[in-house]
Amino acid sequence: MKRQPSPELELLERGVLIRMTGVDSGYGAATVLVGVEFEARAGEVALVTGPAAAGKTTLMHVLRLALPPRSGRTVILGFDVARASPRARAGVKRRIGYVAENPVFVEQWSAFHNIAMPLRMSGKRARDYVDDVRELVDFVGLGDAADLPMEKLSGAERRRAAIARALAGKPDLILADDPTANMSPADGRRIVRLLAEMRRVGAGVVIASQDESLAECGPILRWHIDQGRVSQVDHPAPEEAEAYE
Amino acid sequence: MRNALSGMERAMFWTLAFAAFAAVAAGLAARAVDRLAANYEMERGSYAIVRVVAPEGPEGVAAAEAALAQAPHVASAAPMTAGRAAAILRQWGGAEISAENMPPLHLIEIELEPSAAPALDPGGDIVAALAQGGVTADVIEAPDAASGGGVARRVRLAALWGASAFALVMAIIVLLASRGLAARRRELVTVMTDLGATRGQAVGRVADEAAMLGLYAGLAGASFAGGAGLGLMLLVIPGATLQNVAAMLAPLDFAPVIAAPIAAAIAAGAGARGAASYFHGQAARLG
Repeated sequence: MKRQPSPELELLERGVLIRMTGVDSGYGAATVLVGVEFEARAGEVALVTGPAAAGKTTLMHVLRLALPPRSGRTVILGFDVARASPRARAGVKRRIGYVAENPVFVEQWSAFHNIAMPLRMSGKRARDYVDDVRELVDFVGLGDAADLPMEKLSGAERRRAAIARALAGKPDLILADDPTANMSPADGRRIVRLLAEMRRVGAGVVIASQDESLAECGPILRWHIDQGRVSQVDHPAPEEAEAYE
Repeated sequence: MRNALSGMERAMFWTLAFAAFAAVAAGLAARAVDRLAANYEMERGSYAIVRVVAPEGPEGVAAAEAALAQAPHVASAAPMTAGRAAAILRQWGGAEISAENMPPLHLIEIELEPSAAPALDPGGDIVAALAQGGVTADVIEAPDAASGGGVARRVRLAALWGASAFALVMAIIVLLASRGLAARRRELVTVMTDLGATRGQAVGRVADEAAMLGLYAGLAGASFAGGAGLGLMLLVIPGATLQNVAAMLAPLDFAPVIAAPIAAAIAAGAGARGAASYFHGQAARLG
């Protein structure tokens, strides 16, 4: 007898990568996210904007499975986060590409090796991934800096390396926490366009930023967060989205 | 190896190597003490003195010597000469004693066969054999533990436990030092955790590296200690050569040298595993 897929897997099959329903979360005694309702789908780009300390990074931590929700229901990539085993959670994490606000790297390693890390962790050999990583390096515009140790890279280069690393494992979901921080507006837009490009390969992209103008970079669904409460702003009309194609 | 290690790792390597060296040196010293004590105990246990009571005079000693040649457990027997007695007294008393001043001795030194276990009461068998030869005599054996003997056993135990305790302290030093390596790899653990590594994968990566470092450091430390021990034997033992020193060594003598790299690898791996596990926990679960 064929087993029925779980409701969470059904969501994933319908293209829903993230669904948060009435989610509270926080650190210690502090509750940062309150009753969050949020959804992200495959092939879509969501931009979550809000002022400083509104809960954007906390939302990202919940979405990348680093911070457990206290209540409500969080389904990510077909798994109910609260019920998933540590192994299942690790498996979900491997399908998420995360660009942190302050990305952590192995500083002594070259950017190239850092970018290749998800591929090495998946058991691939260097000869199998070297061309893919070089392509990624070119895609994010890191150039020759890829061969330098991370500690020698500038802030903007580190961010490009973080994006390349997040994309290396061909993730189903890409999370970027303030990816344009400390960048010129032009560089910032380029980075967001790079991330938004990933929707073309079917990945879902969630970007958190204070900069609302990033919504002009493409067909992006806007969400607003303030004092831990998330609300949907608007959706681009289909013809508007097509205009970006 | 030199090129593979840099900065902190090199300092860590030599810390672990020194700990292994110290542990092996203590182990080898304990083993040397053990062997000396065992030899002493064997020689002490195989030595006895026969005091001839009757017949008196040189005839009694000669009769006893003849009887001892047929007695069980006796490997050799020789009357104690005045010169030998004076030498023994000089050795233990310190004062100059002349052999001419020694009274007539009715003593025979005997060496027991190695198979003459105390439980067999070799002294009783020898007295009986002497009586059959018409000689009345006492056999004075080395005192047993109840009579103040058994120091060698206590020395051997002290050496064993002392070396074990020292090795344990060194293992704790290795364990704590390897936590420093894990701290150095904290960013690697964080990155791996962020990228979806399980605890086993992230922690195993760091623990394996620490264990390998411990193994190489243990090999280096043990090699130095083994070389130093060999050099010391060649210096201290008169007429020692590499050939006869090699012949003296028993398999057990190599135990500290073999155990140290393995123990260093285990302790380093365990220390790094504990620390890396903590870092993984911190990276995996915020809040």
